[in-house]
Amino acid sequence: MTYRIGSAQGFYGDDVTKALPMITGGHVDVVCFEALSELTLAILQKDRLANPARGYTFDLSIIARQILPESFKRKIPLITNGGGLNPVAAAEMVRETAAKLGLSGVKIAAITGDDLLARLPELQAAGEALSNMDTGERLANASNQQFVTANVYLGAAPIAEALQAGADMIITGRVADPCLYLAPLIAHYGWSWEDWDKLASGIVAGHLLECTGQVVGGNSLAALHALAPTDLPYLAYPIAEVEASGTFVITKTPNTPGLVSLETVKEQLLYEVHDPANYLTPDVTANFTTLHLEAAGENRVRVSGVTGKLRPEKLKVNIARMEGYMRELIFAVGYPEAWLKVEWLKAMIAESWRDLPIQRLSYSYLGMNSLFGSLSELPADPLEVVVRVMFTASDQDTLKTATRRVMSNGLSCPPGMSVSGSTIGSDPRAIVGLWPALVGRDKITPEISYLTI
Amino acid sequence: MPRTLYDLAYGRAGDKGNIANISVIARTPEAYQDLKAHLTVERVKAHLGDLAPGRVLRYELDNIEALNFVLYDALDGGATRSLRIDALGKGLTGALLCMEWD
Repeated sequence: MTYRIGSAQGFYGDDVTKALPMITGGHVDVVCFEALSELTLAILQKDRLANPARGYTFDLSIIARQILPESFKRKIPLITNGGGLNPVAAAEMVRETAAKLGLSGVKIAAITGDDLLARLPELQAAGEALSNMDTGERLANASNQQFVTANVYLGAAPIAEALQAGADMIITGRVADPCLYLAPLIAHYGWSWEDWDKLASGIVAGHLLECTGQVVGGNSLAALHALAPTDLPYLAYPIAEVEASGTFVITKTPNTPGLVSLETVKEQLLYEVHDPANYLTPDVTANFTTLHLEAAGENRVRVSGVTGKLRPEKLKVNIARMEGYMRELIFAVGYPEAWLKVEWLKAMIAESWRDLPIQRLSYSYLGMNSLFGSLSELPADPLEVVVRVMFTASDQDTLKTATRRVMSNGLSCPPGMSVSGSTIGSDPRAIVGLWPALVGRDKITPEISYLTI
Repeated sequence: MPRTLYDLAYGRAGDKGNIANISVIARTPEAYQDLKAHLTVERVKAHLGDLAPGRVLRYELDNIEALNFVLYDALDGGATRSLRIDALGKGLTGALLCMEWD
């Protein structure tokens, strides 16, 4: 017997209903939903500022309405970090939804303790430097700064505890992504917290699952000639069938499009990985360089031999800070003398903005050098050039003024120039700077609260 | 057409803050030996030019016949700050795989 973990969300906005065929088909024992990219919490903070009862992902209401009734009926727990900045309010919403649907006996767990925004000054006072992991820079006095969010990456322990307490749905905030998937394995198999190889196996399974479509042919060069493009909207989502030893098979929901092959597994294995021999998580340091991959039938890849070692001493925190706003404008010019017209456009813009506090200004030519920069050779006399202008300022008004001034040159512009209408009408976008740091484990205490119907 | 790295390998790029990684996964055992011997950090950095302005590290995975390159300061400040159309650096795989290879 294996324990089967389904993965039905890899980002905020993913199609979570792909959990349904896994559940109703009897293919999984638990389903995990990973909703939080590095940036997602800053997006959710906007919602929470507008309404203190929000701050969780909207996908959660789809999960509550459409998936929970099916999973609860079959005693398949659901685990999600889609609680974002407000797991307790999210749990309350799920409880209300479930009650309206007539479910009873549902136990919902909300896990908190990751949100450090209000605690930053206290942590600094307690000796936590919160220096930037990438640059080494020390964090200035936190009480004087405009931070948007500050969340520590929790591990699998509180989720495993809630599962062992019989929770049917577990809603967390920031948890290290693969730990969402490790947690049910610990709860099910009772793996020791020092059985590093097994913990690392669970982490590798989680890492392969956490980006849903990306291990079944999505965003895959290896699948470019192996799948039909019309398959993409229907790609199956992945399932890991894990043995008590930690060895597991990656597969997908049967009878749905997609591809699980040695190639798709290798692609996802190294996705967003730095040192593959030291993949750091709150629960274990996993080693990807000892594992063995083996084809195990159609759309099945067996992963064995994962090793691990002691987890890192400290936990990672991501602190987000508002750094201003950015704006995009797209222009097109054509033959004759397209490059001269581009120079005119740039000079016109520079002159219009001379007295504006524009902070960064960047030009690229779509289809010519926007992806590969200096690798691309620009044609000498092109028939057309699409110019993308990106500019930033500390406030939105500057960007709006800048846009208005350029647009007011509509009839006094380089000859034959056109403007992308959708860029004229769009709003400035917030720039959120991320500050990765470390914090002592002794400062962090996850808490679990339960709601029942 | 000259041969490119894409003839020998495929891969995927990912982002973490302002750091990008590009995996280069060999299509055959022979290709892996070739890549391991000749796809050096220096060569990658020289090829990518201003796409790899910072430190570049290379990791070897003999078990899956792949190399992993980690590029510091390669994402224009990171996905949330970047002014590039490819703010997540998802296209960086192609930037590396278009390298001519003989």
